[in-house]
Amino acid sequence: MAKREQSRPSLKNIRGLQLAMIIGYAVIIILVIFIVTNLAVKKTDKVLKNKVISITSSLNVQMKLNMDSYISRMETIGTLAFGSEDAYTYDATDPNNDEYEALNTEKAITEKLYSLCIMDNFCDYGIVYRNNRTVGKISNGTSSLMGDDMYEELSSMITRQRTHDGWSAGYKDDHKRIYYVKRVHDNAVLVMSFYASELESVFDNPETLDDMDIRLVDSNYDILYSSRGEEIGNQLTGTIYERVKDKTSATVMDNTYLVSVNSCVDDWYVICSIPTRIILKEKNDIQYYIYMAGLIAAVLAVLFGTIMSVRLTRPVKQAVSILDSKANTDQLTGILNKLAFNDRVSGRLDSSLTIERHALILLDLDNFKGINDTLGHAYGDSVLAKTGSILRAEFSTEDFLGRIGGDEFCVFVNCSPSDDMDYDEFIREKCETLCRAYWKYYSGDRKDYKISASIGVSFFPDHGSTFEELYSASDKALYKAKKSGKDAYAFYDGNDSEEVDGQ
Amino acid sequence: MKALGRVIASAAAAVMLIQCGCSGKRIVHSQKEQTVISLSWWGNDPRTEYTLKAVQIFQELNPDIKVNCNYSEWSGYEARNRIRMVSDTEADVMQINVGWLDDFSEDGKGYYDLSKVSDKIDLSNFSENTLKYGTRNNILNAIPIAMNTETVYINKTVYEAHGLDIPQTWDDLFRAADILSKDGIYPLCGPSKAIWLFSIAYAEQKTGKSFLDDKGKIAFSSDEFQVMIDFYVEMVERRVIPKIEDFKKVKVENGTCAGAVAWVSDAINYFGSSIKAGNEVVAANYTAFTPEDSGAGWYEKPATLYAISKNTTHPEESALLLDFLLNNKEMALLQGVEKGIPISKSAQEYLDEEGLLSGLQYEASVVMDSNTKLREMSPLLEDTDLINDFNDVANLVLFDKATSEEAAQQLFEMIGEEFEMT
Repeated sequence: MAKREQSRPSLKNIRGLQLAMIIGYAVIIILVIFIVTNLAVKKTDKVLKNKVISITSSLNVQMKLNMDSYISRMETIGTLAFGSEDAYTYDATDPNNDEYEALNTEKAITEKLYSLCIMDNFCDYGIVYRNNRTVGKISNGTSSLMGDDMYEELSSMITRQRTHDGWSAGYKDDHKRIYYVKRVHDNAVLVMSFYASELESVFDNPETLDDMDIRLVDSNYDILYSSRGEEIGNQLTGTIYERVKDKTSATVMDNTYLVSVNSCVDDWYVICSIPTRIILKEKNDIQYYIYMAGLIAAVLAVLFGTIMSVRLTRPVKQAVSILDSKANTDQLTGILNKLAFNDRVSGRLDSSLTIERHALILLDLDNFKGINDTLGHAYGDSVLAKTGSILRAEFSTEDFLGRIGGDEFCVFVNCSPSDDMDYDEFIREKCETLCRAYWKYYSGDRKDYKISASIGVSFFPDHGSTFEELYSASDKALYKAKKSGKDAYAFYDGNDSEEVDGQ
Repeated sequence: MKALGRVIASAAAAVMLIQCGCSGKRIVHSQKEQTVISLSWWGNDPRTEYTLKAVQIFQELNPDIKVNCNYSEWSGYEARNRIRMVSDTEADVMQINVGWLDDFSEDGKGYYDLSKVSDKIDLSNFSENTLKYGTRNNILNAIPIAMNTETVYINKTVYEAHGLDIPQTWDDLFRAADILSKDGIYPLCGPSKAIWLFSIAYAEQKTGKSFLDDKGKIAFSSDEFQVMIDFYVEMVERRVIPKIEDFKKVKVENGTCAGAVAWVSDAINYFGSSIKAGNEVVAANYTAFTPEDSGAGWYEKPATLYAISKNTTHPEESALLLDFLLNNKEMALLQGVEKGIPISKSAQEYLDEEGLLSGLQYEASVVMDSNTKLREMSPLLEDTDLINDFNDVANLVLFDKATSEEAAQQLFEMIGEEFEMT
């Protein structure tokens, strides 16, 4: 206990330093990992976003090219109708037509038109005249939809003056068919139509982008085709509309949506959109993994640092502990030396309250010089060592034991009696036990020389509040005990009378 | 310290391994593999719409199968099918006409033998007799969807408004034309095939001779063809019907035409709008000289059939689709009676449970089922060349380019060059 108590201040310093090192190391490591992790996350975020924008933009351009290609193919098939001379020269509205000849001409044109469109999923591929007479393939659906106004309605769909043709969808809010109309001559237009659902093959996107919504809208942002079939015919509104409004070719990404738009034929637009949280799902996963990796790395680094610190400081602490012990301990008796005892008692007294009671017991071996001279220094040393043992055996680990002179020992009693015993009586018993200890071990076995000790006792706070005051009081009491014939103990009573308390 | 060294070495080795693993690892991303099959059909908008929906459902039920669709209205579809068939580019699963079985599979080898995939198709929904329609040379080539016949549909509302009863006889029609024509209304109209079969019915009843003999050869002579031509020309001239070429110009839906000869499966195509507009349209008895003779000279056939291409490389997937189209509940409910009352027992039960066995097409099917005089239609009766030839010679008479006798003789000779005659 004495060793442990004595080494505490130095080791405390080392432990404090060690803790500061570990905390400092941990803070630095965590800070570095936090910075590196954040940089990694930000970089990954940026790279991933750019890649996703690039891929989506490419997909949108591909969809636009698909659409342009499809439209171009349809227009080419439409133009093929002009390969038959009758198709662009015959006028069903000419009042001079011979009815029978006209019938046969119309049959011939019809056969020609059928042969041109035979392999495609067209609803209509025919010519409509100003008098609403038709040749070729004109579906019941179109006939019912446009009725007697077919020619006028179809003519109004021609928007391009260069090629005298145009595209239209959503006629009378019917979005099932998409129409292509081209003027044949002053009294006839060629009409082609196909189901909007045919565009599924145009806008078929890869399985990895199943969540991508693909739409074709006209210049009014009416939806002509959508991978979400149910919204065909509605007007594009809300978040997607806000992002693509007035844009002809752009890709927009924010926290809610990734939207890409490209214009194609006749001011129609191909719009691809996907919620950001879906397209960047992988980014969130990567972020999670990076942060987790950073956290694990930080924990491992701190753990590693702590282990290393402990392993590195252990020999130092051991050396300090040994040195500490040697500096504070009397090597012969194993108890505190004078300086250490003085420090400890002074420290204890400084923190003691006046309601506490302590005793300072001063023990001096009687005739020790005679023991050395008679029995030899080695024997004298053994007597001193034995005194240390006697003191350790008699007092608790809470009490301070010290060798403060050649044959002079001192005990500062910290502990109190366990029961209602009077404190003076408690100390008295200790003193008597000490005296008896010398009788038992030294007087009995070595008859040739009597070994005893004299004891002086003073009390805190009655006889002083500092070590010096108490020591002085105990020394006076010891003097009384010596004076009374040695092998006795005496309590300091405040005066210099030579009466002793026990022998 | 040795232990510590070992820990550091192990950690370093682990990091190096991970690093090596990350930098040089080959990444393999599997693409979704789908079996792609194709489906072809003809029909108007409603059929196309519900079939596309059904295909979507089928794909959801079978995510490993993708179905590409080829479809259009009937006009020109027959020629398109011929090109596809002879060029080996036909769809894996096809809606076909019963006549095409004779055209492309007289020996039973022109379509896939469905008995090879009978584990995928629930054939127990079909009687042996109905399967015979799709069997050639004892090989099951196709399965019929519903039965069909040309039917006389009458807009009862328009007829009654003019004080007319539902016509039962040929004379009734001519009498109706006398009255309705004053308001620019035709009592009947029809596309070329319907009017051709209508004329055959008249000629068979009038002459007592069947168009085909027992061996399936054409038994009509120029005399019977003359009866057909005269009948057609008279109907046009007395405004019972518009010219075949003008059929599309008359409007069934607004009452310009107060009746039509059309397939059971086409009833709603023609009269859907009229019914929605509040008109009562009924399926009349098959026109005859007397009501008792109704059905004589009229023919029935499977509306359409489903077959699988003989060239398919995915017979099992195709069979799954074929079974879905015939027997699946969702398909049955989507299809309803659009093609007539389905032959599949399961499909019938589904429709019955949902109360969908109703409407004009259902009424037409009831009229068909209850008439015992209807005979099985030979594919020859639907031959496009025959019909076109008839139209051409009839126009010669209509436009005074020939007499009906000359036109009939010309027709007889033209047919004699192309077909086997008695």
